[in-house]
Amino acid sequence: MMMDDSGYMKSERIKRETLRYLGYGKHEADAETLRMLRESLLELERTAKERMVYRVFDLCLEEDVGKGMGAGYIRIGNMRIESRSLFKNLKGCEKVILLGATLGIEVDILMKRYSCTDMARAVILQACAAAYLEEYLDGRQKEIAAEEAREGYYLRPRFSPGYGDFSILHQREILAMADTARRIGLSMTEGSMLTPTKSVTALIGLGREETGCHAEGCEACEKTDCAYRRD
Amino acid sequence: MLLERLGKELLFFDGGTGTLLQERGLKPGELPEVWNLERAGEMVEIHRLYYEAGSDIVLSNTFGANALKFRDSTYSLKDIVTAAVTNVKEAAKLGVCDGRETYAGLDIGPTGKLLAPMGDLSFEAAYAAFKEAAVYGEEAGADLIHIETMSDTYEVKAAVLAAKENTRLPVFATMIFDERGKLLTGGDVPSVVAMLEGLRVDALGINCGMGPEQMLPILEEILKVASVPVIVKPNAGLPKQRDGEVYYDVRPEEFAEVMVRITEKGACLVGGCCGTTPEHIREMVRKVKETKNFPACIPPERKGQTIVSSYGKAVFLGKRPAIIGERINPTGKKKFKQALKNHDLDYILKEGISQQDNGAHILDVNVGLPDIDEKAMMVEVVKELQSVSSLPLQIDTVDASALEAAMRIYNGKPMVNSVNGKQEEMDKVFPLIKKYGGVVVGLTLDEEGIPDTAEGRVRIAGKIIDEAAKYGIDKKDIVIDVLAMTISSDPDGAKTTLAALRQVRERYGVCTVLGVSNISFGLPCRPVINANFYTMAMQNGLSAGIINPLSEDMMSAYYSYCALMGYDENCEEYIRRYSGRTAPGAAQRGAARSDAACGVPGAGDGAAGGRAAEGGTGLTLRTAIVKGLKEEAHHAAREMTKEKEPLAIINEEMIPALDEVGKGFEKGTVFLPQLLMSADAAKIAFAVLKSELAETGADEQKKEKVILATVKGDIHDIGKNIVKVLLENYSFDVIDLGKDVAPETVLETALKEDVRLVGLSALMTTTVGSMEDTIKLLRKEKPDCKVMVGGAVLNQEYADMIGADFYGKDAMQSVYYAKEVFGEV
Repeated sequence: MMMDDSGYMKSERIKRETLRYLGYGKHEADAETLRMLRESLLELERTAKERMVYRVFDLCLEEDVGKGMGAGYIRIGNMRIESRSLFKNLKGCEKVILLGATLGIEVDILMKRYSCTDMARAVILQACAAAYLEEYLDGRQKEIAAEEAREGYYLRPRFSPGYGDFSILHQREILAMADTARRIGLSMTEGSMLTPTKSVTALIGLGREETGCHAEGCEACEKTDCAYRRD
Repeated sequence: MLLERLGKELLFFDGGTGTLLQERGLKPGELPEVWNLERAGEMVEIHRLYYEAGSDIVLSNTFGANALKFRDSTYSLKDIVTAAVTNVKEAAKLGVCDGRETYAGLDIGPTGKLLAPMGDLSFEAAYAAFKEAAVYGEEAGADLIHIETMSDTYEVKAAVLAAKENTRLPVFATMIFDERGKLLTGGDVPSVVAMLEGLRVDALGINCGMGPEQMLPILEEILKVASVPVIVKPNAGLPKQRDGEVYYDVRPEEFAEVMVRITEKGACLVGGCCGTTPEHIREMVRKVKETKNFPACIPPERKGQTIVSSYGKAVFLGKRPAIIGERINPTGKKKFKQALKNHDLDYILKEGISQQDNGAHILDVNVGLPDIDEKAMMVEVVKELQSVSSLPLQIDTVDASALEAAMRIYNGKPMVNSVNGKQEEMDKVFPLIKKYGGVVVGLTLDEEGIPDTAEGRVRIAGKIIDEAAKYGIDKKDIVIDVLAMTISSDPDGAKTTLAALRQVRERYGVCTVLGVSNISFGLPCRPVINANFYTMAMQNGLSAGIINPLSEDMMSAYYSYCALMGYDENCEEYIRRYSGRTAPGAAQRGAARSDAACGVPGAGDGAAGGRAAEGGTGLTLRTAIVKGLKEEAHHAAREMTKEKEPLAIINEEMIPALDEVGKGFEKGTVFLPQLLMSADAAKIAFAVLKSELAETGADEQKKEKVILATVKGDIHDIGKNIVKVLLENYSFDVIDLGKDVAPETVLETALKEDVRLVGLSALMTTTVGSMEDTIKLLRKEKPDCKVMVGGAVLNQEYADMIGADFYGKDAMQSVYYAKEVFGEV
């Protein structure tokens, strides 16, 4: 459950994001969809067992001048990542958070159930679950930001494998380093897909300078013709 | 000998190794198991410190030593496991100076993967991985196998079976619970204990996740249900984070103090997990040795509760009556038989879901039909049901091989239907119960048939209980069915059954089940008799009726009985179900809806549409579909069949409605949820027309077959399911192969069913490769077959690259393409 004083605002944000995922763009949703969306959100609040785990690691960025501007390697413990988009995201950071979060297996079961009996509801529920998870992460990220601020660190926007040129194949290492299987029951398939399906892994850079781009995410993506784009 | 001391003497485990390895330089991401070979001296030293601290059982550094987790090409798994066990034995030689008997435990941790159907690791693959480690461990001289830190009942079941079937060693298993007493996968204490005891582990318990203080309440829960010795291995407190690093801060003295209380509560084996050190163990051993009972532990008590379980739920039989839903059974059900023949799993799953929604506690599963492969079907249905419902299942079959296969892959402690007093049957079924665990229904019939008298049936119940005892199966795992015989042929049938029920409960104290509706066979308006007999049976000691939860008569009998007998606190359930209903009307409405025998034959077979029984809405079928209103569509379709031929309704009303919605979707004025609501409404209307067609004997249109599959390695199937719903709307016969489907399976089905169109879905770049493989295979072996592809990662360019015939950017495009392929446009 993540209802609190600002519960109303949260659920409004979740509803708005859900409709975006469903492709409504700027269109109004019909009454029946909105009703199912409200019910889905309530059902998620009852069913989801959101959990998160993270660890902080030292970050080592090695620029590769030979490959041009912004190219280089990112080293975190034994993990070595080659990604321009992540490199850009982490530039100037000293440390990095590796995190995993999940809504738990119960949500997968619920989605499968509705796939059997009511496909429209299944589709709304799954979009709503994605929005719910993002909202949960935003909330937790704020807490971490406050904690890190005391140490003089600022957070960069979170960045997940599979986005930009940050290879999904790093999923295995991230899960192992954050110990997600044991601590929150988050693991992956051979194809690097997260299980339970409503889960996220991400990196968050920690830098001494405030970059002021916390809202970055969807908007930072290079795919500007995307139907689901927020701006 | 370990087993002789177990449950009599307190035994001490070791503590954590992770922290000690990190202190000695283990890096994040490094495989600790490699240290068994590369830094054997340090491993021996760590183990020795624990033996010196007083541990009786020290575990090998093999937590991640299974082929699924240990991916290091430098060393073989066998060498790692052998070295690890040898290190522990070596440490015992150095560290045990008081001559006490100690044990080297082979440690087995989780694979770090989620098992199918929610993940992609098959039960068999998990079993194989655990088996490998277990066999090497025994060969290397381990004294026991300790399976720990498990958070999934299914995975621990694979591990226990692997250990028990392939070694002779004692097997212990401990799980991680959270503070609410739940596993990460949702299971609770009774469900875990019931399953593990069913699998005959030698000891079970809890480790990791929490500190000793937080484990106390969980231990109490375990002790309420466990009959075997209980293990408690806490962390040194709750994990805390400082600068992102996990640490534990319960000091050895504090740890030891709580561990004393834990042994006084009834734990028989104690040790430590993450963050605990030799000092924690030394202090714990010292303090526990000061207690007055030492060296004895509090011996475990045998518990008599009858428990069946699934991965997420335990059902206790014996006090409040339970409902076993009977509807997953082809007997006398034409549609169900057809679903089995067509491999229509959705139909079967819906039967399960609707029974759960109506209040069933356990689902009976019978898929026996002469012309299908019952074993394969049973396994598939059990797996699939367990991915949509957390209710425990009752495996109902006379085929011993189907029974064993289902018990093996069942996630939990199943109910088994059934055994009887025939020696041959008992010889067949009891070994399976002993091996896999389960609560078995014992039918009171034997070689002589069904006794006419209550006394005769009670005698057979006794025989069954005695024979089970020879296998070590406790009577708590036997539930007796004294059999209901129809009163239409035997006027004393009901009285005999009720008397036998009473006597079985009184004489043996076992639980009982009954297929209640047999009582009315051959009589009119059966639900009336059934419901009354049901109440009488519960009053005479019926623990679980096998009934139809969709029958309002039966359910009102059930809820009334529970309210009347004080099984429904403050009548809460009764009120929730019946408030707002006026008594006579409610009864009539219920009867009209669900009770086939008094109304329209087969009416109870309807799925979602059943509720829309009465009340005109004035909407046309076309409008109802466009607006996505299910009940209205159902009603309008019914009305319309009075005036129009079904085929005309489809072509003149439904198809135009679907086209209208489809076009709106393309234009961006209708969105996905609405498109699907319309599809669902149309589906319900189709069902009405279909039964109309069946009644008039008219032929349905010949349907074109389309295969749909989410490719191998991919577990996201929502996109494929959307396409399926829409294709079915347009009268295609969809063969849904599900998710994570191998190329060979697609080809095999395409050849067997001679399918001309295959639709493949993939979510991510990592699985597009499997898509390409599937296309290549189809091109080679079935060149006349077209392939359409879709999914988040795909675009036209990608689709061309992998050689697909068509890329569907959304679900409607697939429909249009399918029509094109089959020449309908």
